[in-house]
Amino acid sequence: MSTLYEAMVGVIERHITPMAGRVGQQKHIIAIRDGFLAALPFMIIGSFMLVFIFPPFDPDTHWGFARSWLDFSVRYRNQLMLPFNLSMGVMTFFISVGIGASLGKHYKLDPIMSGLLAFMAFLLVAAPYHDKQISVAYFSGQGIFTAILAAIYSSEMYAWLKHHNITIRLPKEVPTGVARSFEILIPVVVIVATLHPLNLLVEHFTGMIIPEAIMQLLAPLVSASDSLPAMLLSVLVCQILWFAGIHGALIVTGIMNPFWMTNLALNQSALAAGAPLPHIYLQGFWDHYLLIGGVGSTLPLAFLLLLSRSVHLRTIGRLGVVPSFFNINEPILFGTPIIMNPVMFLPFILVPMVNATFAWTATKLGWVSQVVQLTPWTTPAPIGASWAANWTLSPVIMCLFCMVMSAVMYYPFLKAYERTLLKKQDESQDAEAQVALNS
Amino acid sequence: METGFRFVSNGDENPHLLRWRKMKTIMLCCSAGMSTSMLVKKMQAEAEKRGLDVKIDAYGVSEFDEQFPHYQVVLLGPQVKYMLESLAEKTLEQGIPVAAIDMMDYGMQRGDKVLDFALSLIK
Repeated sequence: MSTLYEAMVGVIERHITPMAGRVGQQKHIIAIRDGFLAALPFMIIGSFMLVFIFPPFDPDTHWGFARSWLDFSVRYRNQLMLPFNLSMGVMTFFISVGIGASLGKHYKLDPIMSGLLAFMAFLLVAAPYHDKQISVAYFSGQGIFTAILAAIYSSEMYAWLKHHNITIRLPKEVPTGVARSFEILIPVVVIVATLHPLNLLVEHFTGMIIPEAIMQLLAPLVSASDSLPAMLLSVLVCQILWFAGIHGALIVTGIMNPFWMTNLALNQSALAAGAPLPHIYLQGFWDHYLLIGGVGSTLPLAFLLLLSRSVHLRTIGRLGVVPSFFNINEPILFGTPIIMNPVMFLPFILVPMVNATFAWTATKLGWVSQVVQLTPWTTPAPIGASWAANWTLSPVIMCLFCMVMSAVMYYPFLKAYERTLLKKQDESQDAEAQVALNS
Repeated sequence: METGFRFVSNGDENPHLLRWRKMKTIMLCCSAGMSTSMLVKKMQAEAEKRGLDVKIDAYGVSEFDEQFPHYQVVLLGPQVKYMLESLAEKTLEQGIPVAAIDMMDYGMQRGDKVLDFALSLIK
């Protein structure tokens, strides 16, 4: 067991840590993460509208309050849908600008310019314009990967042009201000002159516009991202990285976000159409079932720490319990510590994976309602679980079940660790007593 | 809150003014600036106890580039220590030291030790 553990730590330190470092610092992955971060407030508030449009009540209810809410939502559905359609429905606008600006900052370009350039690059390929009307089909989930690629392409191109000093050469007599006013046209010209013909070409040969073609290409990957093995793998990677002291969630969510958002939009349109929701593993599922109180679902552990007989563990519990309600658990991870602590390795890895399996199965069986809203990750887990699933009750029960599972699984390992700490505590007290006697 | 005359300047962000006032400026940085903001409070309490004039703030890594030039030292949460090398490259030009906080000091939120560590890096 101990040699196995040592071998594993060796592999983590030699191979996994450096790889995570490279992936986590890859400029495009960072830009995608920051882009989504910038888009998030618009999307959270936009998706919040869903509870007004689709109240969480039985349509045949006779309860007066619910009845009037339902009637209101039916009557004013179009008006209520507007803020949703102009935020979640056009999320790619915010995402493309966010990614473009972030990459622009990385290359020390004007972030407003590179953000807007990304926006235009996205519109050029994803906004088919006919008879004075633009189709919105690819402005939501179906356009996310296109928005990412368009933003990366346009920012890289802008940086490349700037780096190679490609500009319009004017005679020396022309004032520098005038020269500059022509300079900023170049990236725009290059983006239009490359993307527009590409779009026409793709459309001519495949009959599809670019976002359509991209989604067709990525369809297997996107649907695979919402499966039990994919979920367990992403959780495992996150836990192993965190165990090694690396912010694994930052890396894993950075990669999962485009998939989660694409599938979230599909759930939302299914809800609007009154169809069964197709997807289970989304951001709300990750945050409120698998990271209850932070990575490793340590909120129940924080309660256990408060009751510990070890002074050290009790101190950590007191330090960590309040932030844990808001899913911040660095004091617990580094203070207990759980990071690189062989005793805590197994529960830390297994708790979220076991909970993931339970929550997945229960959702698949239709016992627990699915995620349709975006939530801030700092929302206390049972509230966030309910919010994400359009304020229904079943996710709260699922979340509480996961908390009990977490407590049960951490308990024996915590006790074992506590015993070793108590032994040290007693020894040091003995030593102190000895010193006091001798003096 | 102290009363009476107090030097008020609207150039609080100006590093030269701050140096002139002998104020130490410390930046903490983690993934979202959440857990470091807890530590900031502890460090500020410790500095107040010692009567030190310090300015301590916490930011997420996405704000690193804009913020670090305003500080004399940058400390990273241990969970983003893997970024140390590339972040240090950025600060090298300005000669601003960057270091990772010790895991246990971070976990235990030891404001005193982290403050000592930060001050030891400012020279």
